[in-house]
Amino acid sequence: MGTDAFEFTINFVKMVAIFLMMVQIVPLLVWVERRGSAYIQNRFGPNRVGPLGLTQLLADAVKFLTKEEFVPGRGYPFIYYAAPVVAMIPATLALAAIPLSAPFHVEPFEMFGRNWGPYTFMFQGYDFGIGIVFVLGVSSLAAYALLLAGYGSNNKYSMYGALRASAQTISYELAMGLSIVGVILLFNTFSFTDIVNAQSAPLNFMWFGKKVVVEWLPNWGLIYQPLGAVILFAAMFAEANRLPFDLPEAEGELVAGYHTEYAGFKFNMFFIGEYGHMFVASALMVIFYFGGYTIYPWLTPETAPQIMGKLLGVTSATWMSFWGSILLHLVLMAKVVAFLWIFIQVRWTLPRFRYDQLMDLGWRSMLPWALFNTVITAIVVLLMRYQWGA
Amino acid sequence: MLWDAIGFYGMALFLIFFALKTITVPNPIHAALYLVLTMIGLAGMFFNLGAHFIAGVQMIVYAGAVMVLFVMVLMLFDLKAEIRSFSRGLLSGALKIMSSALLVGFALGSAGSSVAILDSSDTAPTQIDVTRQLGVLLYTKYLFAFEVLGILLLVVAVGVVAVSRMKGGTHAQH
Amino acid sequence: MSQLLPVLLLSLFVILFGSALLFLASRIGAKGKPNSVKEETYECGIPAETSGPTKIPIKFYLTAILFILFDIEIIFMYPWALTYGDFISGGYGIYIFSAMAFFIAVFIFGLFWEVKSKALEWE
Repeated sequence: MGTDAFEFTINFVKMVAIFLMMVQIVPLLVWVERRGSAYIQNRFGPNRVGPLGLTQLLADAVKFLTKEEFVPGRGYPFIYYAAPVVAMIPATLALAAIPLSAPFHVEPFEMFGRNWGPYTFMFQGYDFGIGIVFVLGVSSLAAYALLLAGYGSNNKYSMYGALRASAQTISYELAMGLSIVGVILLFNTFSFTDIVNAQSAPLNFMWFGKKVVVEWLPNWGLIYQPLGAVILFAAMFAEANRLPFDLPEAEGELVAGYHTEYAGFKFNMFFIGEYGHMFVASALMVIFYFGGYTIYPWLTPETAPQIMGKLLGVTSATWMSFWGSILLHLVLMAKVVAFLWIFIQVRWTLPRFRYDQLMDLGWRSMLPWALFNTVITAIVVLLMRYQWGA
Repeated sequence: MLWDAIGFYGMALFLIFFALKTITVPNPIHAALYLVLTMIGLAGMFFNLGAHFIAGVQMIVYAGAVMVLFVMVLMLFDLKAEIRSFSRGLLSGALKIMSSALLVGFALGSAGSSVAILDSSDTAPTQIDVTRQLGVLLYTKYLFAFEVLGILLLVVAVGVVAVSRMKGGTHAQH
Repeated sequence: MSQLLPVLLLSLFVILFGSALLFLASRIGAKGKPNSVKEETYECGIPAETSGPTKIPIKFYLTAILFILFDIEIIFMYPWALTYGDFISGGYGIYIFSAMAFFIAVFIFGLFWEVKSKALEWE
């Protein structure tokens, strides 16, 4: 985590900040969702408590905390309590592995009578170089929270909800994993940072062994992988158990699915997990297909420090680099927010699938299409990069 | 170096604890959940030792797929009979301890006889290189095994469907 | 260890945060009197006869096991995708493509067979 106290401290603060970001984004998203759904359905939504109803979030938190504590009599208390905590872990661990901005450099400086640095801090909790595999591995644990909740409540509806949910999550994990293969084929790396860096250049590709550069287009993954992007995004909806894939909590059939017996803050923790998944999904979409924290001609890891330097009038390399990273972070967040809005818009637009339609879509439509996407990508990459005549 | 050792042995202790719990709790679902923790810990172990990709595979395949199946299937059964049939007698306890002692002996013996794995290498290869080397080896030297694995998985898939079809189709009436 | 430390720390952090909130909620929350009717297994108005499901379609089991098989096959594509570019630039493009082409052909055959045999159909 670091070689000396300064690096360790910064890394620790960074990690806490990422966790707090994830926890804080949930009430905001809930507010956006409630106001947004009200807007879509021509209602007002929460608008009484504070400006624009924003302090409704605090009121909600107080309400959650003062709810009566309840454990189902025939349940398993430890597992019942563990499930909501487990629900938060996969999304948090995955989020911390995603680069939220370009790394920033700290030039050597003097403090407490000794010399420190130079350092380079990644704008993420940890960077392993195999980020994609790590995120997939961690998010494959998401099924356990559902199973634990269903089992811990020991109730028919919870159990059916948990079974449905986990069957759905694992089914769509296939399409998700397979659609990412196309991205890896394209960029030949498991590292998110490398993928983003590759996308911060003008559109360039090999055309039967010759290099073609299109100056006016960014090198975004979407241009090469439109089908993969659609499949991944749809699979992400199912992974996050969002409408139209929220079969596990289909009220008409299962009361509330796996969280039938949960109330108060325990219920809220499942919410944090769900919104965390949405956040991770949006960030992955942005990083794989939409240039990550860069917008090619204007904002790249090279130009951002200069822009911020001019804007804020700072000249020290450290602060320019730092503010440049913040600017790029805002770029990423803007893109992520756009995707989060799509999540919300879809939820309030589309009706729910039937369970057999859901499984059909996952296994008999999305999986074959993802496979098709992989094969086509492999063929095209081979044809284009093959050294013709060499 | 010292911290690495402490981390390694600390994790190993946790792993052994979870593994012991797996075989000593009477409720099969709890045992499966402990096995999940063991699998995750094993992934952490691989990670610790520098095999990042293998750690990821361990998470995705074992912790994320195989154990989900176990837990799901166990949840389908009425387990009261299973819990009751968990043996607590003196004889079975002795058998359990003996068999685990035998296993520990095998593990220690094999670790002791392969001295090479106990030596630490000074040049830790960079991570992405390890995964690339793995890929190159897999698709060149072990290509045959890799292709056969594909066919093996196909056979298993066919077998699963066949087994689930016994007695009146996939919606068998019990 | 130094590489795994942040992951462990973060998981510990989440667990502590979660348990602290659970504890806080149990302290602050309204105290209800437990009684046998309230703690009964949830059912839609009628007394519950069993807790937890007793019969579940074997489909769930089938789905889970087929998921494992396909998941393993997909995992094997990851190192392939990673090294694909290296193989091509090294002049072994057709080799690596055909190596995976066979594997994917088996995969597609398996998927096709599963669809044909109606194993993936939920009614």
